[in-house]
Amino acid sequence: MLVVLRDLLRHRPEFALGAVLVGIVLAVAAMSLLAPHPPELTYVVPPDLPPSAAHPMGTTSRGQDTFWQLTFAIRNTILFGLTVALLSRILSLIIGLLSGYLGGAVDRVLMSINDTFVVVPLFPILVLFYFVMRDSMSWAALALVMACLGWAYDARLIRSITMSLRTREFTESAVFSGMTTRQIVLQEHLPYVLPIVFSTTLNNMNWSIGLEVTLSVLGFTSINTPTIGVMIYWANQHTALVAGIWWWIFFPVALVVMLFVGLFLLAVSMNEFIDPRSRLARMRGGS
Amino acid sequence: MASYGAHLTKRLGQFALVVFIGISITFLVTHLTPIDPVEQTIAVAAAFGSTSPEAIALLRASLRDLYGTEGGLWQQYLTFWGRILTGDFGPSLSAFPTPVAELIGRALPWTIGLLVPATLISWALGNLLGGLAGYYRQSRGLRLAGIVAMGLHPIPYYIVAFLLLVTFGYLWPILPLGGGHQMNLEVGLNPTFILSVLEHAVLPGLSLVLVGVGGWFMGMRALVSNVVTEDYVTYAELGGVARGRILRSYVMRNALVPQVTGLAMSLGSIFNGAIITEQVFGYPGIGKLLIDGVHAGDYSLVLGVTTVSIAAVATAVLVIDLLYPPLDPRVKVG
Amino acid sequence: MAAASVAAAQPAPRPGPVLEVRGLRAYYRARHFGVVREVRAVDEVDLAVLPGQIYGLAGESSSGKSTLVKTIAGAVQPPLEIVGGSIRLSFRGGAVETSRAGAGELRALRWKHLSYIMQGSMSVLNPVRRIERTFVDFAARHIGLPPAEFRRLVEAHLQRLRLEPAVLDAYPHQLSGGMRQRVAIALATLCRPELIIADEPTTALDVVVQKRVLALIRAVQRELGSSLLFVTHDLAVHANLCDRLGIMYAGRLVEEGPTAELFRAPRHPYTRHLIASLPRIGDTVPREGLEGAPPNLADPPPGCRFHPRCPLATEVCRQRVPPLAPAGPGRRVACFAALPESLA
Repeated sequence: MLVVLRDLLRHRPEFALGAVLVGIVLAVAAMSLLAPHPPELTYVVPPDLPPSAAHPMGTTSRGQDTFWQLTFAIRNTILFGLTVALLSRILSLIIGLLSGYLGGAVDRVLMSINDTFVVVPLFPILVLFYFVMRDSMSWAALALVMACLGWAYDARLIRSITMSLRTREFTESAVFSGMTTRQIVLQEHLPYVLPIVFSTTLNNMNWSIGLEVTLSVLGFTSINTPTIGVMIYWANQHTALVAGIWWWIFFPVALVVMLFVGLFLLAVSMNEFIDPRSRLARMRGGS
Repeated sequence: MASYGAHLTKRLGQFALVVFIGISITFLVTHLTPIDPVEQTIAVAAAFGSTSPEAIALLRASLRDLYGTEGGLWQQYLTFWGRILTGDFGPSLSAFPTPVAELIGRALPWTIGLLVPATLISWALGNLLGGLAGYYRQSRGLRLAGIVAMGLHPIPYYIVAFLLLVTFGYLWPILPLGGGHQMNLEVGLNPTFILSVLEHAVLPGLSLVLVGVGGWFMGMRALVSNVVTEDYVTYAELGGVARGRILRSYVMRNALVPQVTGLAMSLGSIFNGAIITEQVFGYPGIGKLLIDGVHAGDYSLVLGVTTVSIAAVATAVLVIDLLYPPLDPRVKVG
Repeated sequence: MAAASVAAAQPAPRPGPVLEVRGLRAYYRARHFGVVREVRAVDEVDLAVLPGQIYGLAGESSSGKSTLVKTIAGAVQPPLEIVGGSIRLSFRGGAVETSRAGAGELRALRWKHLSYIMQGSMSVLNPVRRIERTFVDFAARHIGLPPAEFRRLVEAHLQRLRLEPAVLDAYPHQLSGGMRQRVAIALATLCRPELIIADEPTTALDVVVQKRVLALIRAVQRELGSSLLFVTHDLAVHANLCDRLGIMYAGRLVEEGPTAELFRAPRHPYTRHLIASLPRIGDTVPREGLEGAPPNLADPPPGCRFHPRCPLATEVCRQRVPPLAPAGPGRRVACFAALPESLA
């Protein structure tokens, strides 16, 4: 695994760039541990100050240092995205593996349901969810609902990998050589499935963070916990752009875009690296 | 065409399943909260102070009926379906007593008018550029286009829309920012109106296209890279078939087939993007209706929009599914 | 031999070989993660195919015969490179050095003077295109007839292969495997090319179908007077079909001669082994295989590449590469043991 990572870093510029971007974002998130004030407090510093040496990202109209606020915001956003991605992995893996290994009627039924979840527009449902929950909406509840809705796309991917693995020659020889199903799945198949699961996790994070930002900006989440979306929400509430407090919007947006692009590059470069056909194309000197 | 009939039945079945599960989830969500939505809505309405007691009683009865807080859960579920299938979502609270169905009816054409062209443009453009990029791997221009498209794609619709708003609203104000058309124009099929509509559709449409193109680009590029290694393409090259013909009828044509399925699959998320974009630009489609409804506490409106969204997307997917067989003669229609 | 019988049935053959390969070297060069690998798939090959002749190319899977055929067909793409030598195609109206020709030149002679029957005729037809359109794509520009007449021409041609005209309106997946095979043969022969390259067209077919397809190919070839370069590892097929046979081993041609003679009296130890190991009717015990495996072409053994497995190998075989030298009328062998004269 480490060798793979090292090769990726050295030879795939997208991976290196992605790693750098995500690294920067993670570093900023980590700095939240050093913050001088808890994020809920307002008016702890003079408001509306432009970026300067004392406040490298300026201060907000709510009297908070933009930078320190940002560290909490990005940390919470990442944690949220990670939670949804991990929770939905459970569903994706179960359904994808079941479908792929069992095939037949089970596969058909599961995939019909799967496609339903892919087709149904989730945003209105999430908005409705907020509407009925209102003030009792918590991050945990939102994460749970999103995980229950967002597994479908990845389940299909896992299913196709599983199906192709099931019919490969090396599986049959493993079966004939007397390996148990469990051994086959763990020793032969997992090395193929894991990288795909990893890359789908990254994509899922992008999806869930994107939704979080969108919902928060509209004020449809718990707006007292700082996340990127919530930050932008408050900035809009205080009409930051019109008032000229551009830094309140610019830095959260810039940082979250870095996160999106970084995660995306990582996922895409890992996918390409794993797929043997694109490897062959690269050997031909193309791309 | 008996074989097509089997395909039709299968797709109709899937359509029914989507609508069924989607609406059931909606029902489930509305009943998740311990808070009685009817009373909550009444409370908000009463707080406005401008609704008479008779209107409130009417509203309560209507809401009770629609979301059937009488009877057990199963009874409520059936009533829910009954009302929805007749298209009766009850009156809108924020625009009382206009029925929700009417509000949606007014807003839906705007959404469709924005969504359909934007989706088709980003699909066609993305596939064209991606296909060329997959075939002419050495082209610098295409590689650059790829990087731009890939850079924009992971960014959520809201942020792209927002950035466009900032750019064209504050930095370079050449395009109108809000609404579907200029305020006091005569609505109708006259050139001034149509021009104004188009002008107002540019930014939201552009926002959708910018985010969408990247996905199609990448998918098509990967597909074309694979198709190019297929036997029939190699054979055609050995046979001296004209390059243009190979590109169009052998490579792109075959690579496009899964992209059509992909289009059907992404309609859900494109729709999501559209309603978010509407909100940013104040475009008078059902997205704006939805968000405004939430802010106004208009329960029936929010529920109505959600339901219609599910049905609309499911229908669009069905249409695409039905158009699929002529595209791929191999599809098992039997 | 075979050329003479063809000459009796048709006007005087054009002088000179249709295909002339001289000193061809084609390697796979890959640069992957900083490491350079060179696989010497075709290393100094000379051969010639005469007009109307069926030339067979035999060898194991890694003998380089597929690569040789790819280069002759002009299907050279990175990582495959022609490192040296020449390939010359002669036809009515001229000659082209395909190893050096540009894309435009190559395209002009493709299908008109040089066509290809591939392995896996199942998948050489564009699945979303009707058969007629495929014929138009490949051949219309050479035939130059208006659409209706072109179709009639193709229908007549298909009939020779016992295919119904209705086939033209079908999609490939609607036809059986056997029909697709015949369509592929029809497609390759429509323009009456001087050289047809058949690359394992009958591998993966069961014996019954194989026999039918071979008969078809032979019949069409005889009628057109085209030359056929037939590549397969199956010696029995070569015995049945080819006038002249070339044996490849590890990227080199090791023996060549008229088919009947080669089978009756093989001289190269590898050829001897190949022919001896063919099962015959009446065998009661399995025949022996040869020990060892073909060499790794990225790092081939010095001298004669067969020497690690050769029962007749001597010291000189390890040091020098035996040249492909004449060993009788129309015969060539590359072996110091079989042809001591070549040591000089």
